[in-house]
Amino acid sequence: MQYILIALRNLSRQRRRTFMLGGAIAFGIMVVTLINGFAGSFVDNVGENFSQLLAGHIFVEGVEKTGTREVRVIRDDDVLTHTLEEQQIPTRFISRRSNFDAEIVFQGNTIRQNIVGADWTREEFLRERLNLVEGSFDELTTENELGQRQGLILSKGIADRLRAQVGDTLTLRMRTVNGQQNIGDFRLVAISYDPGLFGSLSGYADLAYVNQLIGLQPGEYQTLGIFVDSISQIDTYFEPYYQTLENRVQVFPRNQGEEGQNQVEALFRAAEEDNWEGVRYRLYTLNDVLEQVQQIVDLLNNASLIILLVLFFIIMVGITNTFRMIMIERVKEIGTVRALGMQRHDVMVLFLLEAFFLALGGALLGLALAGITMFILGLINLGLDSAIYILLKNGYLTFLLSPWQVLLNFSVVIGLTLAAAYVPSRKAAYLSPVDALRA
Amino acid sequence: MAIVEVTDVKKTYPLGKTEVHAVKGVSFSIEKGDFISIAGPSGSGKSTILNLIGCIDVPTEGTVVINGQQTSGLKDREITELRHQVIGFIFQSFNLVPVLNVYENIEFPLLLGRKRPTKSEHAQAREYIDHLIEEVGLSNWRKHRPNELSGGQRQRVAIARALAVRPQIVLADEPTANLDSKTGEDIIGLMKKINSELETTFIFSTHDSSIVSIADHVIRLKDGLVTENFRKERTTTR
Repeated sequence: MQYILIALRNLSRQRRRTFMLGGAIAFGIMVVTLINGFAGSFVDNVGENFSQLLAGHIFVEGVEKTGTREVRVIRDDDVLTHTLEEQQIPTRFISRRSNFDAEIVFQGNTIRQNIVGADWTREEFLRERLNLVEGSFDELTTENELGQRQGLILSKGIADRLRAQVGDTLTLRMRTVNGQQNIGDFRLVAISYDPGLFGSLSGYADLAYVNQLIGLQPGEYQTLGIFVDSISQIDTYFEPYYQTLENRVQVFPRNQGEEGQNQVEALFRAAEEDNWEGVRYRLYTLNDVLEQVQQIVDLLNNASLIILLVLFFIIMVGITNTFRMIMIERVKEIGTVRALGMQRHDVMVLFLLEAFFLALGGALLGLALAGITMFILGLINLGLDSAIYILLKNGYLTFLLSPWQVLLNFSVVIGLTLAAAYVPSRKAAYLSPVDALRA
Repeated sequence: MAIVEVTDVKKTYPLGKTEVHAVKGVSFSIEKGDFISIAGPSGSGKSTILNLIGCIDVPTEGTVVINGQQTSGLKDREITELRHQVIGFIFQSFNLVPVLNVYENIEFPLLLGRKRPTKSEHAQAREYIDHLIEEVGLSNWRKHRPNELSGGQRQRVAIARALAVRPQIVLADEPTANLDSKTGEDIIGLMKKINSELETTFIFSTHDSSIVSIADHVIRLKDGLVTENFRKERTTTR
């Protein structure tokens, strides 16, 4: 206890020096914690944004193949939904969507755009996610004299490039599921914020009208999207679902991608290459889509660890030199305590305790500073039209820190500080008492 | 009974390419309870002798026996333990731990033992430290740090610290050298009083002849040799 007291009081002897060293440690920890915090929420935010964009965590697509003709359609999803219930997979929502690749023509301007057909009466979350600049969702469900819901929502960027305004009628060219050309008129009922690159990828329309234009029957669709109760449990739920379905219907085999090939890419290739007929289902998860995002996160975490090591290598040099200086300053004290009966080991402990508290104090300060910085950054609304929207949560930067990551950083910092102080401490401990007293 | 026996001790220090013969072969013994002065001019070898008796230095030749234990050949751990249990130190420049207050400085040697004190031992130690603080007249200064004390007060703390582990020998290297003459006399008087009360052997070096006269036993050194080893009839007040 007395040693702890002495170590702490020794730290307060040279306040400026302690502050400088502790500050350097705090800065290192702050930078690394910020990177870790950002990386931690990166997957969640990107995952959440992607799941909203793609409308699900687990996806099932139907492919019907007769000879060389291939149609993307799910005509009957009883087996798919029944298996879900049977496996007791907790689902928040199930989306049913169709889509087509369109060429939008308006007043001589042409733009290619993916148009998603969604059931607006059921997909409440889509209404919440799409922030409108102009127009409203109400008109999406307004029917024309033919009973068609021709409403269309485009992002601001696309609308601007087309020079289209709410109320304008746009002509869209697309191909049906059988490959025939078709044309349909849409009325621009709303313009949404342009949430970066990914927001411009899709326009939204009514599922029934989209189905009609691509040649599907009412009640049919192309992609079943399943929102499970927790984004972190996707793989846990997916495995039994896939295995059960595999025994009931034809599914595209997974894990057949070549090395370095994405799971989703592999699944799509399989549909083209395999010699098969009938109806097959392609199952994949959000994690398959985000495989590369996870790689980025791993890269960020590794980079932060390297930054930590480099920063602390520099700081270590400072700590070693400082402790050498401290040893020279306190050489007489070392001689005194040795004369009074302090063992060598205890002299070392005294110095190492000082280093430990310096590192701990610096690390705690760094963590606190990182917390404050995260809090302040988290208050800044970067806007829904931000270029990094996909990394944000509703336009805000968020940070998620794993306690293990914090513990690892603390351990690295404390370990390195102790290592840096070890040699001078040992030197101090092995000083001859008489030489130390004479100094 | 001899508590210190020094036999044919020589000590040579290297100094650049030459050697300094600080002690050239001295022999003497010190009785338990002695109040002994090692006197002599600067460079006579007083401090070296004290360092050898204090087991913080080892002789080049000869033997030093403390409390019946031969000091040469002991491992660092053993010699440190011997210092801790048997010897108390009072330094010329006080050498207090600057970050500890009066009470903590006196308590410090008690915390260096390998054995963890029991609750009752701890209470006894507290009581003894309080007694020592009172004995050295620093009751009102117990919470003060060394930089808040005068030289005389610091040396009193050093005396109390030297006595904390109830050592059999207290070594004081020129304890009055950094003090004015009045304070120096007070400090020596205090040491003498404790020597009488506790029967602790006090060995102090000095070059001040007025202080030498207070000692029961005087060993005079000159150029690393004993020139006089004189023992008075011991006057006991106990």
